[in-house]
Amino acid sequence: MTTLTHNPAASDPATSRPVPQPKKSLITRLHMGTGMVVGIVFCWGTYFVLRHHFSSPYRINHDEGLTDSHNVNITLLASMFMWCLGFLIGIGALIGPFRWLIGKDLTAEEQLYLAGDGQDWKRYFRYCTDHKVVGIQYLVGVMTLLGAGGTMAMMIRTNLVTPGSHFVAPHVYNSLVGLHGITMIIALIIVSTGPFGNFIMPIMIGAADMAFPRLNALSWWVLFTAIPVLCSAWFLGGIPTGWTAYAPLSTQAGPGMNAFLATIIIFALSTAVAGANITTTVVAMRAKGMTWNRVPIFVVGATISVALAVPAFPTFMAAMIQTGLDRTFATGFYDANVGGSGWLYANLFWIMGHPEVYVILIPGVAALMEIAPVFVRKPLFSYGAAIAGFAGIAGLSILVWAHHMYMSGWMPSLNGPFMVTTEFISIPTGLLFLVLIGTMWRGRPWMKLPMLSVYAFIWDFLIGGITGIYLSDVPADNYLHGSMYVTAHFHYTLMGAALTGAIGGLAFWFPKMTGRMLNERGGYISFWLVQIGFNVLFLGMFLSGAEGQPRRVADYAQIFAHANLISTAGAYSVGLGALILLWSIIHSARSGKIAPMNPWGSKTLEWTVPYPVPLVNFDEPPVVTSDPYGYGRSVK
Amino acid sequence: MEHHDDEDLKPTPGERVKQVLKDRDVRQVLFFFVLFTALFSILGLWAYPRWMPNIMSKEMRGDESIMIWFTVISAPIAGIVLAFAMESFIDIQKGDTPPEDGPAISGHTSTVVIWTALSFLFCTVAIVWGMTEMNTWSQDAIAKESSAMVVNVTGAQWNWSFNYPAQGITTHELNLPVNQPITFNVTSDDVNHSFWPVELGVKVDANRLAITVVHVTPDKIGPFEVKCAELCGIYHAYMETNGQVETRADFDHWVSTVKAQGGAQ
Amino acid sequence: MASPATSQSKTAIGAVISVVVGILVVAAVGTTLHAHSNLDAPSGYAKVNGTIVAPDGKTYPHAFINDNVFADAADSKIHGSSGGHAGWPSYGPYINLVLPAHTYVTMTMHVYDGGEKLNTPYFASVVGTVGGTINIDGKNVSSLPNDGVQHTFTLHGLPTSSQDPLFVNVPLPKTPEGQQDEPGSPLPKGYTVTFSFITGGKGNYVWNCEYPCGDSTYQSFGAVMGAPGYMNGKVTVI
Repeated sequence: MTTLTHNPAASDPATSRPVPQPKKSLITRLHMGTGMVVGIVFCWGTYFVLRHHFSSPYRINHDEGLTDSHNVNITLLASMFMWCLGFLIGIGALIGPFRWLIGKDLTAEEQLYLAGDGQDWKRYFRYCTDHKVVGIQYLVGVMTLLGAGGTMAMMIRTNLVTPGSHFVAPHVYNSLVGLHGITMIIALIIVSTGPFGNFIMPIMIGAADMAFPRLNALSWWVLFTAIPVLCSAWFLGGIPTGWTAYAPLSTQAGPGMNAFLATIIIFALSTAVAGANITTTVVAMRAKGMTWNRVPIFVVGATISVALAVPAFPTFMAAMIQTGLDRTFATGFYDANVGGSGWLYANLFWIMGHPEVYVILIPGVAALMEIAPVFVRKPLFSYGAAIAGFAGIAGLSILVWAHHMYMSGWMPSLNGPFMVTTEFISIPTGLLFLVLIGTMWRGRPWMKLPMLSVYAFIWDFLIGGITGIYLSDVPADNYLHGSMYVTAHFHYTLMGAALTGAIGGLAFWFPKMTGRMLNERGGYISFWLVQIGFNVLFLGMFLSGAEGQPRRVADYAQIFAHANLISTAGAYSVGLGALILLWSIIHSARSGKIAPMNPWGSKTLEWTVPYPVPLVNFDEPPVVTSDPYGYGRSVK
Repeated sequence: MEHHDDEDLKPTPGERVKQVLKDRDVRQVLFFFVLFTALFSILGLWAYPRWMPNIMSKEMRGDESIMIWFTVISAPIAGIVLAFAMESFIDIQKGDTPPEDGPAISGHTSTVVIWTALSFLFCTVAIVWGMTEMNTWSQDAIAKESSAMVVNVTGAQWNWSFNYPAQGITTHELNLPVNQPITFNVTSDDVNHSFWPVELGVKVDANRLAITVVHVTPDKIGPFEVKCAELCGIYHAYMETNGQVETRADFDHWVSTVKAQGGAQ
Repeated sequence: MASPATSQSKTAIGAVISVVVGILVVAAVGTTLHAHSNLDAPSGYAKVNGTIVAPDGKTYPHAFINDNVFADAADSKIHGSSGGHAGWPSYGPYINLVLPAHTYVTMTMHVYDGGEKLNTPYFASVVGTVGGTINIDGKNVSSLPNDGVQHTFTLHGLPTSSQDPLFVNVPLPKTPEGQQDEPGSPLPKGYTVTFSFITGGKGNYVWNCEYPCGDSTYQSFGAVMGAPGYMNGKVTVI
């Protein structure tokens, strides 16, 4: 394996050839700042117009107008959506469609400008279509969301350290639980496909960029607009629901709920766009010779994940739109008093909600499957089984949703069939384990942080998966549903599997995304603090759940005190480990050891390009002649 | 006599097993397999009975039994996966360059087939167990329906109330006579709640303008707790109340006390 | 060029500083949330004055406490000069109550709001008071009509081994429609409601109103009902 010496100056596009500069025009003046200005103007403008309207002396009951909850909801929702639209206009996202309206398009010069050709760090704050820039933007966005969600988790666990809810009041606690949940869910949906699906994946398949670069930038900036909207929930009184936002509690909820609804609708838009982009890119833009059986497993996993998301998320968006209509125009979708039903919401939600957890899981596992062959120096064990595992999970996941509704009373006669489909999903899931342990068998593993993540995943996902089997059993669910046991289970799968996979992926691809090696000592210290803390935290939670503590409770009976104390101690360890990881990432990105072109000796295409990666990735489009897992000495 | 060269003879099954067991990797995997399987089995048998609350009905007995035995049955699965992972982990190599390549095993069809077949078998066991248990419960409920005592449970933000139509009383605590089949008709006057009499091992959501039903026969005298298992707003955590399973005599005495106070307690 | 040892220790210092900064940020967020939790909202302390023999024959210390319910939060004087949310009713001046343990507590409430119908008729019955009754302007009643209630005082708590159960439900009679404000006062005559209950041992409980006064929300249990500090609070038995 040859390693190219890294020399930033030599491959800097700015010094290697003259870059055509478009003349100073509107496009060159737009950036995140102008976006925020226009967004805020649109938002406040809408707010004041509607406030005035609802309190107009010409309205009947104008005194009630401002206190009537429906009017408040209309005003807030409209303002939030106008913020989003205003921001997109202000950052120049809609210049292309505007040009089409007048029969034109962007010039080649403008497109190169948008791609960030020859620009400096400022391009990260613009509407930049380069997939590598979008990947870094997603990475920062994900880290921000994880940081906010993690802070809320620390608050939650601090309140539960002893009975009595002495740290925060119950309404604050409920908001913490609901907003922690949705923040983490959003973060985890994009944690692998966002940074690595954007930065690494096109290079991995030998492409120059993604199929729709402008949509790529759009998906990031649309997501960005959702972040302040979500934060605004805190300033509007919080939310009384969990992240599942069950109706009719969600229709009864105060103004903060509007922030939740708007966030989901905006986020669903971002994900739909990103999903279409990734799928098209992988289907249409693979390098010559990269037949389907030579596609790296991470690419397959990411594609299956977003392909699953595309039909799933619209139902969440629909459920939120209906909730919004109930809250603004008293439509009554979820109001039993006028013939609606909360069960309608539950079904729509979980039809999204279950596939969604596999959308979260699959890319993390796929990243680890990309890592294991490299660090064990053996081929991926049974590429076909890996595909079958991912495809089987994705396919079955749309048939299992009502296992979240066994105890709802909606349709007890369907509990049996859903139990069957849910139990069967453990078969393709088991194949994923087989692929990983088969890859490890007879290998000499290289001790590096990405490989450590593979081991952590196996332990964490094993516990998560097996406890899922208890939950899928209807009689046992009579006891377990709505208890802390469920919370422990899904943290093992979402955090222990998907987030661990993402951290492994970050450690793996860090040299290609930043040109530097991630600080090893910081990585190991954080790894152990996080993993040990995580297990203490959630094994303690299995205990309190088995003892009978309900979930989402600010306060609890004395018998749960020990388990909660243990859990909180674990949480602080996770928090400390996360801070150390954050420091490691920032410090290493700025002043870590310069990385060789292929520090891990990996055989996938992204390791054949230098850092900084050229604008179009490859000087010449690569030709692929084999799958990327050609490790190993031949067996007699 | 013909001279048979040893090397021309195929190894006997016994010799083949001995050869396989001589392999260090195989021995390590077997060791960890036994270790982890034993650990998880002991966990299931010891932990869940200690952790879970008093068993006060057949349904709760079934719930706990599933937790214990599913743990024991899945212990070998955890055992084998962790064994391979642990065996790999103890061979880990530090260094700045990758270690030498392992054997180029890119698949093994029979392993995948056997693994899938075993998963399928495990699923089937779990499904059959669950279905049988569900069927027992529903047959039981049907058989006892005519002799069941009805309790109408109403969840409201943030208190439970229990109406006993035959006795004509409504209370905030749930007293029940032992060995008496109960039919709970559960509803809500506002948002979704979930009626969870913990030690009785049953649960069902409370929905507005809908009645969801759950049946149980408490078979042990003592206190139990009723909790709400669905987030319902600011005081969801405090939407809990006491329950008591008592003798028929004590129950009747309680009913008459409540009636003497006006029928609401 | 710095020696490896110095740059290593520099890295370590950088790490420690970053972690400390992170902890401070989280602590700042926590402090803000704690402050917004208003855990020290105005508390009313029951004052012991003499003893009393209860119907069970035992003698208890006798404590007294007052509180009120207003149709307009501004009259409660505990939600700031603007009265908090316009149009919201509120208890006041106390949201949290502190009661002595093993005491016969007599609570007197002046109530000024109107009302319509309860969502749950059970809460129109008096539960958990001495004698099973409340005294309204001199008259003892054990329940109110379902549509004659303005608010309720419903006291409950977790069943837990660390404290005795305590449950009291007192429906408060609605002010008759059209009752005018008293001369020189922003308030109508309303009613005076007195009731007593006996506390057990030390414990933490809550109270919330079970009358749906969250107008224009689902089942009228949103808005004021779900907000802290108007229609719900803590009861601490010490």
